[in-house]
Amino acid sequence: MTSEQLFQIFLNGITLASVYFLVASGLTLIFGLMRVITMAHGTSYLLGGYFGFSVASATGNWYLAALVAAAIVGILGLIIHQVLIHKFQNDDLRVALITLGVAFIGTDLMAATYGGDAYQVPAPSNWLGTVVLPFAGSYSLQRLIIILISIIIGVALWLLISKTRYGAIVRAGVDDSQMTAATGVNTRVIFASIFLLGSALAGFAGVANGTLFTLLPGQDGTFLLYSLVVVIVGGMGSIPGAALGALLVGLVSQFGLYFAPTYATVFTFALMVIVLAVRPQGIMGKVRL
Amino acid sequence: MKSVITWFRNNRVLVSWLIPVIVLVVAIAFPYFIMKPKFWVPNIGIKTIWLGISAMSLTFLNRYLGLLSLAQVAVSAMSAYGIASAMVTFGLDWYIAIPIGLAVGTLLAAIIAIISIRTVAIYFLMITLAISQVIYSWVSQEVFVNGRRGLAPVRRPEFLLEMNNFYFFALAIAVFAYLACRYVASTPFGLSLEGIKDSPDRMRALGYSVSKYRFWAITFAGFIASLAGIIMVFDRAQADPDIVSLNSTLDVLIVAVLGGVTSIGGVFLGGLVFTLLDNFASDFTDRSMTLTGVIFVLILLFAPKGLTGVWEQLKGVFKKPSSSGAAKDLKTIAKEAVDTSSAKTKGKNQ
Repeated sequence: MTSEQLFQIFLNGITLASVYFLVASGLTLIFGLMRVITMAHGTSYLLGGYFGFSVASATGNWYLAALVAAAIVGILGLIIHQVLIHKFQNDDLRVALITLGVAFIGTDLMAATYGGDAYQVPAPSNWLGTVVLPFAGSYSLQRLIIILISIIIGVALWLLISKTRYGAIVRAGVDDSQMTAATGVNTRVIFASIFLLGSALAGFAGVANGTLFTLLPGQDGTFLLYSLVVVIVGGMGSIPGAALGALLVGLVSQFGLYFAPTYATVFTFALMVIVLAVRPQGIMGKVRL
Repeated sequence: MKSVITWFRNNRVLVSWLIPVIVLVVAIAFPYFIMKPKFWVPNIGIKTIWLGISAMSLTFLNRYLGLLSLAQVAVSAMSAYGIASAMVTFGLDWYIAIPIGLAVGTLLAAIIAIISIRTVAIYFLMITLAISQVIYSWVSQEVFVNGRRGLAPVRRPEFLLEMNNFYFFALAIAVFAYLACRYVASTPFGLSLEGIKDSPDRMRALGYSVSKYRFWAITFAGFIASLAGIIMVFDRAQADPDIVSLNSTLDVLIVAVLGGVTSIGGVFLGGLVFTLLDNFASDFTDRSMTLTGVIFVLILLFAPKGLTGVWEQLKGVFKKPSSSGAAKDLKTIAKEAVDTSSAKTKGKNQ
């Protein structure tokens, strides 16, 4: 194998990682603040992809499609939070199960509407073509753009959480939500806004992945699983952790696919098992008392 | 009437056996009073039993250890694979194959226990889910177990060829699994588990090795799940990757939630409702999965203890007016205060 191939696989791993990061960052934000896992996150992802496909093929405008998909999925996530989750926020297993039920319903209704066909979100025409990179040879432009977008989103999220007043409130809520509420912050609004943001990110991830690859029924389950792995490996509640976890999972699965295609999935999950055995809170996770 | 109620109050132990015995009597009579036994016995009866046993291992862990495991189906499936490969690949007899299957399943559970022993709550749920997915992708590609096509045919032993015999065989395993769970729960070991569930730190301070107890509880639950694998493999007549798939895992989770995630025996009610939905929902709706999902969510929202807990909930509703009218005595107030404070510390620990 040449070094060029090696770089190609590396870039493919980064591409995959950028999509995983988009899905997992929403999950990690929600978990970080509320200590709950939403099992409907994969459903949000696939639904976003489908909406993106519908809007993009109707209007021909990718940016509009991405925006609409993220907005609708975000609002749906907000509704689910307000109606189903808000009351049981202290019971993490119950929330996991309720959102799993939502995922059953979502999967079935999406299968009823979009069937079993594969869809691809049409990309803007000026994204097509390839770019010649040092070491790696030519590489697809739209993949590079998606990588760039997710880096921008990642940095923006990190700045939002660590540098703004809103982020300070969120972090205070993560550490002690009761005390934060006692200082006069309306934590319910903060919780709801994080749920909106997290779901919208998953919806956007659906559009991004649908542009690069294809949208298929069943992907909701796989993306939920992979984003769980990413979040566990990186550490729950940490945006840099999600980025690191996504990178590891993306690279391990791509290199695994090249060197031992039969066991690519096993490698990915083995990564998680090793991390959990050595560091149960994840690489960047904090130990909570 | 009043004397009946007092009798029930004074004989709690006896009463706790009353419902299981009634259910067992109904289950024994079941093949004889249904209209179409050829359909009902395998599709509803036997399937309810193996789904129920697999779910029982899940509810056992949840009730006595406070851990929700999604790897129980994988354990059942590996037990099924053990039996199938012993019989199909090596041509062994059923009475050798069954112990092999049980050993494979229980061993897998022990390995899962070692991997996941340091994790709790939602982490445990996710790591067990991930493990079951690893097993799924492994068996789909492993040549030894024939990859995607799986191992077939797994023939039932001669004495089980008659469907009713097979049903009673399955029922006997179910009774054994139920008694085993109740027995283990009543031993000092089971009581220590409950202690660990309520406060691992306190138990650790008392000198209990929390990890050791968790390990043996997960292994024991794995043995129960392996029992389900025996019935499953003979019922399906094959072992294929579908039995480890995410859908199968979720099926058993649905069964457990319908019956009540803290109820050992309720799983069979959950299994019955699930198989009925599975078989008949398609008669009146195209979206049977949506229906299942809606029922699942409604139960979690309004009856967190499942269908078997509904009775308790109803009793609570009728009792309320009388107690709120009268002044609370000191004991109840104190008890409530303790309850809420312990609930709070519990929330913090997580």
